[in-house]
Amino acid sequence: MKNKSLAFWLFLTPVILGLGIVVVIPFIYGFIYSFTDWNGIRATAFIGLENYISLFQEDEFMNSIWFTTKFAFVAVILLNIFGLGLALIVTRNLKSSSLLRTVFFMPNLIGGLILGFIWQFIFISVFGDIGNLTGIEGFNGWLSTANTGFWGIVILTCWQMAGYIMIIYIAYLENIPKDLIEAAKIDGASAFQRFKNITFPLVAPAFTISMFLTLSMAFKIYDQNLSLTNGGPANQTQMVAMEIVNTAFSDNDMAYAQAKAVIFFLIVSVVALTQVYYNKKREVEM
Amino acid sequence: MQKKKFYTGVASALLASTVLAGCSFSSGSGDSDSGGSEDQVTVDIFQFKVEFKDQFEELTEMYEEENPDVNINVKTVGGGNDYGQALKTSFSSGEEPDIFNVGGPADVDEYEEFLTDLSDTEAADAALEGTLSAVDRDGEILGLPFNQEGYGLLYNKQVFEDAGIDPESITTMDDLEEAVQTIDEQKDDLGIEAPFALPAKEQWVLGNHLANTFLATEFDNNLNTAYEADTVEFEQGDQMKRFLDLQADYSVGPVLSLDYSQQVEEHFSLGNVAMIQQGNWVYNTIESMDPEFAESNVGLLPIPVEGQEGKLPVGVSNNWAVNNESEEEVIQASKDFLDWMYTSEDGKKFVTEEFKFIPAYEGYEDQNIADPISQEVYEYASAEETLGWVFMGAPTSWTEDSLGSAMQEYLGGDIEWEEVEEKAISGWESSRQ
Repeated sequence: MKNKSLAFWLFLTPVILGLGIVVVIPFIYGFIYSFTDWNGIRATAFIGLENYISLFQEDEFMNSIWFTTKFAFVAVILLNIFGLGLALIVTRNLKSSSLLRTVFFMPNLIGGLILGFIWQFIFISVFGDIGNLTGIEGFNGWLSTANTGFWGIVILTCWQMAGYIMIIYIAYLENIPKDLIEAAKIDGASAFQRFKNITFPLVAPAFTISMFLTLSMAFKIYDQNLSLTNGGPANQTQMVAMEIVNTAFSDNDMAYAQAKAVIFFLIVSVVALTQVYYNKKREVEM
Repeated sequence: MQKKKFYTGVASALLASTVLAGCSFSSGSGDSDSGGSEDQVTVDIFQFKVEFKDQFEELTEMYEEENPDVNINVKTVGGGNDYGQALKTSFSSGEEPDIFNVGGPADVDEYEEFLTDLSDTEAADAALEGTLSAVDRDGEILGLPFNQEGYGLLYNKQVFEDAGIDPESITTMDDLEEAVQTIDEQKDDLGIEAPFALPAKEQWVLGNHLANTFLATEFDNNLNTAYEADTVEFEQGDQMKRFLDLQADYSVGPVLSLDYSQQVEEHFSLGNVAMIQQGNWVYNTIESMDPEFAESNVGLLPIPVEGQEGKLPVGVSNNWAVNNESEEEVIQASKDFLDWMYTSEDGKKFVTEEFKFIPAYEGYEDQNIADPISQEVYEYASAEETLGWVFMGAPTSWTEDSLGSAMQEYLGGDIEWEEVEEKAISGWESSRQ
């Protein structure tokens, strides 16, 4: 209790205020509103759990949750594979390794909206032209079906985020003591054995972080979704975040959207925390 | 210990209050008497049309010069969704504007308690037949229309001429189908890719505009009828399907990933297609791509509807509303300003020449309507050869989320047309319970 001096509170006040005004208070308000019929201007009645009951009966919302889950599953796996893969490439003492790091990280510096439009052009125009030139059917009609829309968002996300995840893996890979690897080499361990038994366990903390980041990011994705497919065709590629925004601002159903947001918050936090808990248990200390 | 806690509390409270004071909000509800004499009236306008922000501000300056005791502040927040959101925020935070925009009857209902009756204004008297239906509540006029907008099939005159088709002769769906086939047969000679470009990625193109053409008759061209209807019948569903099929079959593809800007810019403006289903609002875009083409090569053709041949869907997309919680003199000043904008000579000139609006008011006969597409729309409107914009009266987001999305599924081959109608009907009925 010693540190609760005047100075302590003075330094803390701006942060607490900021956090309170921007995060905590709106969150509490939102939670309360989700039990009313609030339309953005006024709430006239307290309707209890009605919003929560009807959202579980709504196909569109359930579809978007299922779509997002599928997406998160695929994206998390691919992102970590690509991230680790890239990190292994750029830590191999290549001449071009710092150039490569910059190049791989670059897509992450471009905003999601812009990337969405760039990839929209690639998927529709460039893929279309390739399809017409080569006669391969698979290149035609991208983003015009739910399936290609799904893979479109997966490809876009991997391209954007893999560089970021790579940076995290690089930090851990470079911390692995060289003598361990050397000793293993002398003992005659093959490259794959060295990776499996030394490198992999030692970068486990990076997995925890990367999984957490990619998982929560994959669930909350919005701008890429908006600019690439805008949920189309027929709202089949609509992620939860987008579904909630549409409910709130185009259906004008604020309280209902708020209830969806609360459920969404619960799902994301449960998934992310469970994942952290299990990965933490697997980590090894040096 | 007790004492220390007390000081801590006081200190934090003090600090908190200074921080809060730093970002104190200015009360913007029109009654601020910032500067000037006591008679100065300040009117806060909160509007959504980004496209004419600069011109609109110019107009308010002109008005301020003529009326030195009126001070007008304009705030513009753009794009459909953002505006609604921002307007809500300003109402729930108490920073209510004096003049703001309301769209269809759903908006009017939502803000009804804040809307002033404008039936005593000159502009309300001058408003053209039918343009007030969205804002008319038992004789009270709760808003004034911005302008009129109309859509149909925009066609490339040159392509039609080369193909030997007289656009005047197309009055029925049969004629249109025949013309499309004629064009399609010789598309290589004409140098086009396909007769149509259907942006099926945009749910509003399908669910709002295309569908409205074939729903208008069912609701007597009146959006209030649609607004009060418990169900929708799809009386002309067969024709709707036929027209959608026609566009989709003869469009550059794949239609489901084709969007509005590709349709207008890449395909129509560059002469890749012969026709698109759009309205007067695309003029500026076409002009920015190819001014000459926009000026002389774009024609407008009504979408053929049985029994309603030669009629163009024309409607009002937005209205000015005056906040009735503002002070008396602010309300009066707001009304005066709106009157001046739409009925004075200077205002009229500005509305047509600078805003490039298709006026929704009488008395514009001697004004030059800026572009050829708008000119045609105004001709249809003054001749009363119009269909209503009944989609403005459909349940909120029904046109896009329910009908538009079902039409996309139909185009994707997932469902049959009957299911489109079923889905749309059940969507309408469930939101009107």
